Amino acid sequence: MAATKMSWMRAFTSRVRAFFGGAARDSEFDDELREHLDRLTDRFVAQGKSRDDAQAAARRQFGNIGVLKQDRREVRTLASLEDLGRDLRYALRTLWKSRGFTLVSIATLGLGIGACTSIFSLIDNVLLSPFPYKGSARMAFLQIHDLEKGNDGGRQGYTSTEYLAISEQNHVFDGTTAAAEDPVLYKTGDSVELLYGVHVTPGTFEFFGMPALLGRVLQPGDYEPGAPPVFVMRYKTWVTRFAGDPNILNKVLVLSGTPRTLVGIMPPRFGWYEADVLIPEKLTPDTKPMFADFAADWFFLGRVRPGTTTQQVEADMTVILNGLAKVHPQDYPKRFTVLAKKLGDTVVGRFESTLYTALAAVGLLLLIGCSNVANLMLARATSREKEFALRAALGAGRARLVRLLLVESLVLAFGGAAFGVLIAWGGLKVLVAGMPQNLIPAEAVIELNAPVLVFTLCTAALTTLLFGLAPALQAARRDLNDPVRDTGKGGGSGLRTGRLRNAVVVMEVAMSLVLLIGAGLLMRSFVALREIRLGLNADHVFQTQLPLPAKRYETAMQVRSFFEPLLARLKATPGVVEAAESSTLPPFGGVDTVVEIPGKTHVDDWHALWTHVSEGYFRALRIEFRNGREFTHVEMNDGRKVAVVNETFVRKYFSGQENPVGQHVRISKLKELSDPVRDPVFEIVGVVADVMTSGLQSPPEPEVWIPYTVTGSGAQVLFVRTAQDPASITNLVRQAVSAVDPGVALAYPSPLEERIGDRIYAGPRFGSWLMTVFGIVGLILVTVGVYSVVAYATARRTHEIGIRMALGAERRDVLGLVIGSGIRLVVAGIALGLAISLVLGRVIAAQLNGIAPHDPITFGATTLLLVATAVVACWIPARRASQVDPNVALRYE
Amino acid sequence: MTDLKKSEVLQGTLDLMILKTLHALGPQHGFGIARRIEQVSRDVLSLNEGTVYTSLLRLLQQGWIKSQWGISDNNRKAKFYSITARGERQLAVETENWERISSVVGRVLRLEEE
Repeated sequence: MAATKMSWMRAFTSRVRAFFGGAARDSEFDDELREHLDRLTDRFVAQGKSRDDAQAAARRQFGNIGVLKQDRREVRTLASLEDLGRDLRYALRTLWKSRGFTLVSIATLGLGIGACTSIFSLIDNVLLSPFPYKGSARMAFLQIHDLEKGNDGGRQGYTSTEYLAISEQNHVFDGTTAAAEDPVLYKTGDSVELLYGVHVTPGTFEFFGMPALLGRVLQPGDYEPGAPPVFVMRYKTWVTRFAGDPNILNKVLVLSGTPRTLVGIMPPRFGWYEADVLIPEKLTPDTKPMFADFAADWFFLGRVRPGTTTQQVEADMTVILNGLAKVHPQDYPKRFTVLAKKLGDTVVGRFESTLYTALAAVGLLLLIGCSNVANLMLARATSREKEFALRAALGAGRARLVRLLLVESLVLAFGGAAFGVLIAWGGLKVLVAGMPQNLIPAEAVIELNAPVLVFTLCTAALTTLLFGLAPALQAARRDLNDPVRDTGKGGGSGLRTGRLRNAVVVMEVAMSLVLLIGAGLLMRSFVALREIRLGLNADHVFQTQLPLPAKRYETAMQVRSFFEPLLARLKATPGVVEAAESSTLPPFGGVDTVVEIPGKTHVDDWHALWTHVSEGYFRALRIEFRNGREFTHVEMNDGRKVAVVNETFVRKYFSGQENPVGQHVRISKLKELSDPVRDPVFEIVGVVADVMTSGLQSPPEPEVWIPYTVTGSGAQVLFVRTAQDPASITNLVRQAVSAVDPGVALAYPSPLEERIGDRIYAGPRFGSWLMTVFGIVGLILVTVGVYSVVAYATARRTHEIGIRMALGAERRDVLGLVIGSGIRLVVAGIALGLAISLVLGRVIAAQLNGIAPHDPITFGATTLLLVATAVVACWIPARRASQVDPNVALRYE
Repeated sequence: MTDLKKSEVLQGTLDLMILKTLHALGPQHGFGIARRIEQVSRDVLSLNEGTVYTSLLRLLQQGWIKSQWGISDNNRKAKFYSITARGERQLAVETENWERISSVVGRVLRLEEE
């Protein structure tokens, strides 16, 4: 046995070699034959024949050359290759004949492969390795975490002194850099544009290890005091603002009043700090902060030495910063620790879990898809048992039969793969378009992930082959007479594959239910999120930030000289309902401050968020007053020390019987501003309803609002409530701003609703949208699965159903019989699915707001949906069965 | 010429004869093998000589013989076939088989005649 197998192998390899050896060997063979014929002819000539006779005799003795060549070709080549062509044609023909089956299989495989690949590509590009920098996996930033605050997180900005101390005294980093934002005003022609400028410390470009695309990166000399002022530009800015013009290199641009030479354009994937322009700055302990009131404005990034643990980094940093805290205790929490976070953590948050949930969902989808194909293949192979038995009886070897099925399965797998690649490619485009843009790091390039594609392709192909071949092998091994004799109409034959098919359907139903429940939960959670009241009405409100040039706008008077005419001009514009200034952009609250209420004593510090506003602010955002009144024009004009607080402030710092209006509050932080407020005690004149201060999930914190005429410090945001579409007013606002001060540019103008939507709704919306798509696809797949199994089983029972009907069964009974058999499987699947969902609930819980992970309404609704769909899937074959004419069914053989 | 005319020789028999020939004479080209079989069979067995090549291909594929280009006795390029070690083993097995079968067949035929 072993010997014959080996010689068979050798023959095969020699055939393969010969097949590829080809023409050269054919001509050699011809030469060899010709030589033989010549020698025979010579021999006959020597025996005295004439040349012609001799040639004829030689040919006679040699035999038919044509037949010989044919023999040789058959022996030599893969005669099987011709068979293969035949099999391929045959496979295509049979698949074409059962188009429904083919289409469903290919679509199913394609969906699974495509969805899986695109989601994983997204995860890989956005979460796992978005940064192209040298050693980006070891890059970490630091947070000073106040131990008295329960939550994670803390201060992420550092003063120049802190940065210098960390970079010089640390034992854990092999490189450090710091960045501080500086909105840059850039004058083009008549108008002023805003570029997001970032100052970077010496060694930044060496740290990231990326060369410039054009020109050069910043070099050590550029950072030295007195060096000619230069800067480097980001690729995206170069393309969008300067049309990718290479001549701009080495030109001098006036940035915020300083002429600077553009020395380099960075490659597309360099997106550090999302900076439009990067400006060199050498830090010294005397470096003045960019914004007078935020001394700690340097964002630190270090590359941890290989082999150093996070704990070691945190311990080292805690020691260094504790040293500084002894010198400047007011800059640090009483008890703090330093947390080191991976650079990758800047792109996490709720979005990460959304993507991982999607990956899990898509994995389920792939499983469902594969089970579907498995099921279809099993059903099909079983129904073809007779065909195969017949083929075998007519002399087809087992190998031949297996090959036939193999070719069919391969055709299906290839079809599915091709479709899958298409889906993956298109799906990724749709995903990227639908994804909340602010959650994708600037450095990320989203493209198809080849290894994953290969993996899913293999999975799908393997499923197809496995389930296409398993029954065929079984059939080929069996007594060939059995299936031929089998009428195929009882339930008896193929019992084993029947059970396997049922199990597959149960699994499929279970997984689809898990998917549906997940989608339902996310959807309901999203609806609940939309129902959370922000406390303000963002509809029809336009907003823009207005970074005022710091040199000309230092004092409250100066700031007021800008806003008073601007707000007046805007209010006079037709279509404008109200215009107002504020130092923050709700629902993301103001700046933290310690507050005191004269007459009240307490041990802990009392905190609140402070914001300065103009008089129209509460009207513009439709924030409701609960008590008291808003600021009057006179109070605004005179810069009086009056304040409005929110309900949380009152609830926390006043007892129930007290009337807060008329009481006073000391806002300590105002003393420390660049434009300080002496004796910052404010009289409370009004109480407003709570407005969210840190997004939707956290409860609002105490807030206090003061007139913007009290201090010139703080950022400036403009709100305009309009009667028409808020986006349409952008140009009017730009003109008004330019008319008041041509040196001021709008930053991030947009409708407020859009801005809020981007920041808080986009992630959950994307998640629920994604899961819903998957849920629907899963539902379709499982419908097909249930239908195919029931239809197949019913077709096998046509004979039995005919007998039942001949014996008096009603249509109703037949319907019940068929649907019942299908529903049994569905119910089993649902039970399993519910159990799995309950267990998995914990995984998805982190993404849910306001609903439990085992929300009974979601569970009930999705189960009903699945049952309804399953009944329809069973009903179609059941109806067909009930319409069987008993005569036909019984006669049919 | 006898009744055993052209190519009535069983496939396996021809293979066996070629193996034996190569075993006995060492490397030979196709023409030489045909001559040798002709000579040994004393012209009783007349082949379609082309079938020798079919047989040679079969043997090559089995790895029982190998081929090599060389110069023939009349100074022309020719392909020489020689038996391999595996071929030698196969020859031994086949020879034994053949002897057993032919003796059985012979006995059966004699039985019929009696």
